Formats: sequence, C-alpha cells, structure tokens
Amino acid sequence: MTVALPEQATRKYDLGFARWVRDNVNGGAKMSMCMQCGMCSGSCPIGTEMDQGPRKLFMMIRAGMKDEVFNSSTIWNCTSCYNCTVRCPRGVPVTYIIQDLAAKAVEFGYVKKVENARFAKAFWWSAKTFGRTDERLMTAKYYFSFGLVEGMKRGLANLKIAIGMVRTKRMHIGMPHKIKDTKGLQAILAKAAEIDARESKGGA
Amino acid sequence: MTDRKPGVYICKGCGIGEAVDTGALEALASGDLKVPVGKQHDFLCGAEGVATIEKDVADGLVNQPIIAACSQRVMTDQFNFDGAQTVRANLREWVAWAMPAGEEDTQMAAADQVRMGVAQASKMDVPEARVEEGLNTRILVVGGGSTGLNAALEAAATGHDVLLIEKTGKLGGWGAQWSKRMPHRPPYRDPQDNNVSSLIEAVQGNSAITVMTDTTVAETDGMPGRFNVKLANGSGEKQETVGAIVVATGWRPYDATKLGHLGYGASPDVVTGVELEGMLANGGVKRKSDGAVPRTVAFALCAGSRDPEHLPYCSSVCCGSSIKQALQIVEADPEAMVYIIFQELRTPGTAEEFYRQAQEAGVIFMKGKVKSVGADLTVTVDDELLGQEIPMTGLDMVVLATGRVPKATDPDKPAAEGGEEQLANDINPVAPIARAGEAEIATPAWSEAVPEGGPILNLQYRQGPHLPMLADGFADSHFICFPYETRRTGIYTCGPVRRPMDMAESAEDAAGAVLKAVQAIRSAQGGMSLHPRVGDLSFPKFGLDICTKCRRCTVECPFGAIDENEEGFPELNATRCRRCGTCMGACPVRTISFDNYNVQMVSEMISAVEIPDEFSEKYRILILACENDAAPALDMAGINRHSLNAEIRLIPVRCLGSVNMLWISDAFQRGYDGAMLMGCRSGDDYQCHFVKGSGIAEERMANVGQTLQSLMLEEGRVRSVEVSIADSAKVGKMIDEFVEEIRGYGMNPFKGF
Ligand SMILES: Cc1cc2nc3c(=O)[nH]c(=O)nc-3n(C[C@H](O)[C@H](O)[C@H](O)COP(=O)(O)OP(=O)(O)OC[C@H]3O[C@@H](n4cnc5c(N)ncnc54)[C@H](O)[C@@H]3O)c2cc1C
Ligand code: SF4
Ligand code: SF4
Ligand code: SF4
Ligand code: SF4
Repeated sequence: MTVALPEQATRKYDLGFARWVRDNVNGGAKMSMCMQCGMCSGSCPIGTEMDQGPRKLFMMIRAGMKDEVFNSSTIWNCTSCYNCTVRCPRGVPVTYIIQDLAAKAVEFGYVKKVENARFAKAFWWSAKTFGRTDERLMTAKYYFSFGLVEGMKRGLANLKIAIGMVRTKRMHIGMPHKIKDTKGLQAILAKAAEIDARESKGGA
Repeated sequence: MTDRKPGVYICKGCGIGEAVDTGALEALASGDLKVPVGKQHDFLCGAEGVATIEKDVADGLVNQPIIAACSQRVMTDQFNFDGAQTVRANLREWVAWAMPAGEEDTQMAAADQVRMGVAQASKMDVPEARVEEGLNTRILVVGGGSTGLNAALEAAATGHDVLLIEKTGKLGGWGAQWSKRMPHRPPYRDPQDNNVSSLIEAVQGNSAITVMTDTTVAETDGMPGRFNVKLANGSGEKQETVGAIVVATGWRPYDATKLGHLGYGASPDVVTGVELEGMLANGGVKRKSDGAVPRTVAFALCAGSRDPEHLPYCSSVCCGSSIKQALQIVEADPEAMVYIIFQELRTPGTAEEFYRQAQEAGVIFMKGKVKSVGADLTVTVDDELLGQEIPMTGLDMVVLATGRVPKATDPDKPAAEGGEEQLANDINPVAPIARAGEAEIATPAWSEAVPEGGPILNLQYRQGPHLPMLADGFADSHFICFPYETRRTGIYTCGPVRRPMDMAESAEDAAGAVLKAVQAIRSAQGGMSLHPRVGDLSFPKFGLDICTKCRRCTVECPFGAIDENEEGFPELNATRCRRCGTCMGACPVRTISFDNYNVQMVSEMISAVEIPDEFSEKYRILILACENDAAPALDMAGINRHSLNAEIRLIPVRCLGSVNMLWISDAFQRGYDGAMLMGCRSGDDYQCHFVKGSGIAEERMANVGQTLQSLMLEEGRVRSVEVSIADSAKVGKMIDEFVEEIRGYGMNPFKGF
C-alpha cells in the first residue's frame, strides 16, 4: 500500500520524514505550505485533549520526529470536525493529513502503544460488522484489547455507568442491533479499500 | 527695509467674523498700533478682497500687507503680492476655530495675533537673494553597482550630465555576480534572469554618462552647484567640478570568520550565501571538500544578523536570496532536500509569493535559531515552536546567510586623521543626539563610532571628512521622514549604504536620490533653499563686528554649512545652507540674523502681546511651535475644531534649533507665566526636519533652568514637548495640562514690571 518509511527513519530526528509525509500521506504535499500560524490548533474544539495539536504536529514532522508523531494522541483525538481545514489560511488539508497519519500509524504498527488507537480499532470493528456502534460489544472489545485482567478491571470500574445506560435504554443487552443491508455495506467498504489501494500515493 | 508701509487686512469670512469683533481689531490696528492702512473684508481671499490689497500695494500705500485671516500654510498664492512682503496673523485656525466665539479671552487672543503680526512686520526685510552664475549641473555618482548604474541612468534621463566613478575595474557591483535575481516582476514566483549586464550596457551606451573605473574620490570641497572633487585612480589625480553627488557605494558581506560557532572555517562545506552564489553562477553547487553535488542542504538564516554580538539589524535580503538559492537547488535536483531554518521569515514587498513558491516546491522551512554547526555539519537548531533543541544530522552542506555591512566608509582607505580633534563630539557624525528625559548617552570615541576605513568623499569641511552616519554605520539619510537627505546638502545616499535593500528597491531609491540631486542643483542656481524651506531666499548674515569667534554656529549647524575664514570668523557656504536658523539659535552674542527671521523679530513679537495684570486671573503662556510639524498640528486642531486654550500665544519658528534662549528669558521678564517649545522628535529616531535642531534645543534647554532660578521662578514653567503632525487631537490636551500645572505655580510675579 504505502511506500515504506524511509530506511534511515530510525533515528530520532530524521530529515527524510518530512519528505516521506509529503509523498505518502494524503494531503501531505500541501503540508509544506504551513506557516505555523496556529489557526488550526486554536480552532480545534478538542485541542485541549491533544498532546500536540496540529500546528506542533506539523513542526514535529518537519523536525523528523517520526516516533513522536505516530505515537501522538493528536492523530487519534481528532473528531474530523474540519474546523482547522476550513480556517487554515494556507489551504492545508489538516484533517486529511491527521486522518491519514492515523491510518499509517496502524499500518506501521504504532498503535499498540496508543489507547485511542485501540478504541478506534474497536469502533471500526463494530461499524464494519454491524453498520453501527454497539456500545456493549465495542466497549468490551476495547477493554479486553488490554488483556483479560485489565479488561475485567475496566469493565468492573464502569459497571455502574453501564447499568445506568441499560436502564435508560442507552445500551442494550441481547443481539446487537444491525443495519438492514450489512452485505451492501461490506461491498461499499471493499470498493473503498480498492480505490484507496489504487490511489494511495499522497495528494489531497 | 528703509521704508516700511504696513497695512492690516482682517478677514471676516470662514467664521472669523462670528467669533471675534473684527471692527475692534481694525480699530486696534489703526489706533494703538498706528498702522496707516487697516481694513476688513467679508471674504479676503476672494477676487475682490485680493484686489483691494493689490491696489493698496500698487498705489504705494502698503508694502507689508499683514493678513489677519487664515494659517500661513494656506492661500499662499492669493496673498502673494509683487513688490510686497506678506505677513500672516492666524485668526482662523488658531483663534476662531479653536476658541469659544464671542468671549473676551478669544477677542484678546485675536488682538494679540494682530499685535504680533504688526511687530513681526516691523523687523522684517525682503530677503536679498544671493544668486551665483555659472554653477555646475553635472551629477557625480559614486559607486558603479546596480544602484549607481540606475542612478546614472536616471540622472541622464533628467537631462543632466553624469560622471560615474567605480572603485574596481568592473561595473555591476555584487549584483553582476548573481546567477539569478529574486523575482521583481509579476507573478513574483520564480527566480528571474539577472539583468545587471543590460544596465551596464545601457550606461556604457549613454553619451551623457562618463564612466571612470578604478577610481575613487580623494577629496571633496565646495558646495552644491560647485563641488570640487579630486578623483584618484592608479595613474594619478584629476580635478572635476560637479553640481551634486549621489553616493551608492553599497555594502560588503559580514566577515564570516567571526561566525566560528556556525562552523565557518571548521568545515569547507559550511559556506556563505555569497559563496553559494558564486557556485550557482559558475557551473552549479558542489561541495568544496569532495566536489560532490550536495543532496541535503540546510540554510541558516540571520547568520550574524539580528544578533547583538554581530550585526544588530536585519540585512533584509538574505531571507529572499536564500529562498532564491534553495529554489535553484531544488530545480536542479528535485529530490534534493533543502531546509531553511529561520527565526522570522522576512518577506518584504512581493516576496511572500516567492516564499509560497518555495514551500510548494517542497523546501522545508523550520522556525528556530541555529545554535551551532559542527565540523561534521551537525546543525543544532533551537526550535522555538517545539521548545527543544534539535540536532540535524546527515547534511551535505550548510549555507550561512551572512548579513551585510554598509560601505559608508571605504574599508581600504586609512582612517581619516583629525576627526576627533576637529570639533570633538559635537560634530562626530555618529554622536547620539540628546533626547528629553533620557540620561545623557555617552558619546562613543571617534575611533569606536566611525566604522573602520576612511571617508568615501573625504569632505574638506570644517565638520570633518565623513558623511554623517546614524546607527550601525549606515549613512544618515533622514531615515524616518525624508529618505536620501543626508546632513551634507547636495550629497545624497541611496541603496544599501543607507539601509539594507535589494536591487529593485535600490533602483527606486536611486531615482529618489537623483531627483534630490537635481533639486539641489536647481535650487543652488536660483539661490533658493532646499527642503523643507523650499524656495526661501534668505540667508544667515553674520555681524562680525561683535562675533567672538566662539564657533558655536559652526559646531551646531546640522548641515556643515559654516567654515571659518583665516581670521577665524564664520564663513557661510551659501548653497549648503538650509535656512533652519540653528546657527541663529546658537550664537551667544546674537549676531546671526536672516532678513525675514531674526532674534529681534521674535523678541518684538513676544513683547507685543498684552500681558493682563496680576489681578486679572488671566495667564499667558508662550508657545514656540516648529513650523514643520507642531504648527501644522495646531492648524489641524483648529480645522478639526479641537479647542485650544485661549491663554496661549503662539509663534511659529523655523525649527526649535533656531530658538534663542534669550526669547525665553524675555518672555518671563515680560510677565508670561509659562513657555512651551513644540518640536519634532529628537534622538536617533529623530523626525526633526533639520535633523539635529530639536535635539540641540533640548541641550540648550538644560541651561534654561538656571536662568529661571536666577529669576526666582520654577523650572517647571518651561517645557519642551515633541509634537508630530498627527498629534492634532492631542496637542490641545498637552497644552491644557501644561496650563493647569502653571496655575499650580501661580502667576509670574514679574507682571507689571
Ligand atoms: C547572497 C546575496 C544574494 C542577493 N541576491 C539578490 C537578488 O537576487 N536580487 C536582488 O534584488 N538583490 C539581491 N541581493 C542584494 C543585492 O546584491 C544588493 O541590493 C545590490 O548589490 C545593491 O547594489 P549597490 O550598487 O547598492 O551595491 P554594490 O553591489 O555593493 O555596488 C557598490 C559599487 O560601488 C563600488 N564602490 C564601493 N565603494 C566605493 C568607493 N569608495 N568609490 C567608488 N566606488 C565604490 C563597489 O566597487 C561596487 O561596484 C543579494 C544579496 C546577497 C548577499
Ligand atoms: S492553520 Fe494551516 S498554516 Fe496555520 S498552523 Fe495550522 S496548518 Fe499551518
Ligand atoms: S533578511 Fe531574513 S535572514 Fe536576513 S537578517 Fe533579515 S530576517 Fe535574517
Ligand atoms: S541656517 Fe541652518 S543650515 Fe544655514 S548655516 Fe545656519 S544652522 Fe547651518
Ligand atoms: S556663534 Fe556667533 S559669536 Fe560664535 S562664531 Fe558664530 S557668529 Fe561668531
């Protein structure tokens, strides 16, 4: 799919990383237009929940801080609201870049260290399988991704909330709710994967 | 003037008639003031009003019409009468429009305006013009770089003969060595072909321009209209006469060997921007160490610029020229990795487009300061945005965008002798100018103050051989308000010798300097003053009978216009004089005067004001306002109907430098309660139209305190303030505050003496 990370990209500060992002990440070609004004980070509604925020993330890419970028919570906490992209004075497709960095992080095996990545994986499993999120199964999948003991621990810690949700019909027990045409959804997703594979080189 | 025939003409238009009793003013003129002709008119500047005055002048009744109407700055054509000398008393902006209509105090202010106008006329004469025949109109351009070439072409285009001298054997300066130019035409995106060679051809093909290479100036003497210039080249010396001089001696790169911390000298692959230009122009960029084409290159911007240890200023082109070079490298090898490490990227003019172009081409811009460059080309960047130090490794080449040093001196010439002894600090070209409220700045010794090397023009002036410099060794050029104006009339600087700039800016600058030179020549021919007293025909006259040869005038003249003759008396170089009157303000025995402006005239005006007695509760504050900025600001205050305190009495002066401290003591002895000087900003960011005038006034003011003490008056009764032309809304408040303070002191006990 993606061109492998540059070979020398094992040092902490890797000069080739910015070029690699430019050539391989969706929207990366426009990242060079960033003038570090900070409009994106300032506009981000959950910027306070991010360790870096987009502006700094881009600076880290320029500095070649590959591992820090892929391990950053920024790429996982982005809600795709597109505030940053709309407001960027330099036309940088911030959201695309962040999303694709997350995808690349999965691809290159960075996710294990990042909680948000596990959650995203669980979320995606539910969405892909049922066409919607099933709170109970998704949460279980997420919790148990940390291992059996940790999964139990987390489940118990949130038991009260879970019971409350069931009572108020926010979560349901029994067979997961599904959309009508899961087959159709699978076909759509397969097609999307095919297009992605075909056009996986950068460009917004 | 042997036979003065004043006539007072009072205008009732523009609201003056509603605000003051003009009939009473007319009665004052013909009564107490005994002016033979006194008239009022509904609309004095209209055809009928003007005709009335014209007729009186033609009939020989009046030769000094005193126009009590609007500001001296307006209607100058209407109130200009052949064979007569006009005096203006401002009833409109300074009284009717600024003070409450119909009140006693307003009427008193108007009456004093008329009194002052009549007093002024009584001490004024029509200036005797001094016109010299046969002045030279040729323009000398010193320096044959792109700026000098442009200056020569511009000067020739105005119809003047040009003498262009160049120190080296070749024309074109640095610019001729660049492989490409930063874009100077739309769409301002790509490096453009260097066209300096076509400039050289145009100069060489122009019959009005004489080019002398391998030539420098050995000595310069004289004044606008006849500068005698001794030119030196290998074969000897040659005397030439020119009318004006344009200096375009450009710049030299900052000495990179002082940048050891940036790896210069430690590795052959750390090069300067100028060295890189050499490679780009001669077959492409190669490493000096192994001849390989570098694939990963970092540019360290501000190398030695904006650095208090080196050059404190921004060299202005290195951001742009580094972008140009980066683009050239990426164009030659699209896979090359180019980093530009900047603190602030400065993209003046259209360079923002150029910056975008480089970003699009994939040049990577990093914001940070290069802390060090190692012999192995490891660049340590103090990354401001990440808040950490980043070591960049694996680079093939590091380019230092070194700054530029102005060539306001000639580094190859020996330092000029005699600078220090000549007239010590007063005329040290870089001596800081005093500023109100600031502790005295230590004047650097001549040797520290003047950059290494000798003077470019080697002026044979009493004030020393150098062109005055301002901060950081740049030629002083009235940086804030009037570019190109140096402190040596008829000599103008342009290009990076006065401020860092690129070739496109320098070309415009050259045109500006040339137009100034043309003005200097034309004004010299007409015996007229240059900016800002354009067209003034008066000159300072020196009453040598009582002159004590103290040389204050020579020392304080901001333009180096005065020399001394063999007997030690001051001698004016007429066309260097700008008529600021600073010499007049300086002279301790008050023997310097202009026909139309002199110490006695202002003294009479001060005395003409009627001072109400100590029981009246009416204060009188004298304001001496510089006619260049302060007086117009006061005019604007009236125009915008901001109120002015009715207890002030305003006298416009040519420059605060012309204020003789006698006036202040006169005022207090006459019973004024306070005095205020309003002038332009002084200091090294001065806005004084005569450069040093307001600063000199500041220095003189320091001694006024003693005078006041001897009169048993509070020092706070005198104040000097900086007023710019934009201060019209503030100036009234400044006055009110001052008047309030004076009221705190109470009335001047000298009233009635
Ligand atoms: C690396 C680099 C790249 C640049 N690239 C660009 C660019 O792409 N585009 C651009 O617009 N600008 C560029 N600049 C700036 C540009 O070089 C200057 O603006 C330009 O050189 C100014 O020309 P000048 O004639 O004033 O000065 P100079 O080029 O310095 O010429 C001055 C001339 O005067 C002569 N001279 C000096 N002293 C005397 C004396 N005492 N008597 C007689 N002659 C004397 C000198 O020999 C010289 O020929 C660059 C600057 C740098 C450092
Ligand atoms: S808003 Fe755009 S230009 Fe500004 S920092 Fe964010 S990405 Fe960069
Ligand atoms: S032009 Fe740029 S590189 Fe040069 S001194 Fe100024 S900010 Fe620094
Ligand atoms: S009027 Fe001004 S320029 Fe002229 S000699 Fe006096 S101080 Fe110098
Ligand atoms: S300041 Fe006056 S006294 Fe002194 S040298 Fe000049 S003219 Fe003579």
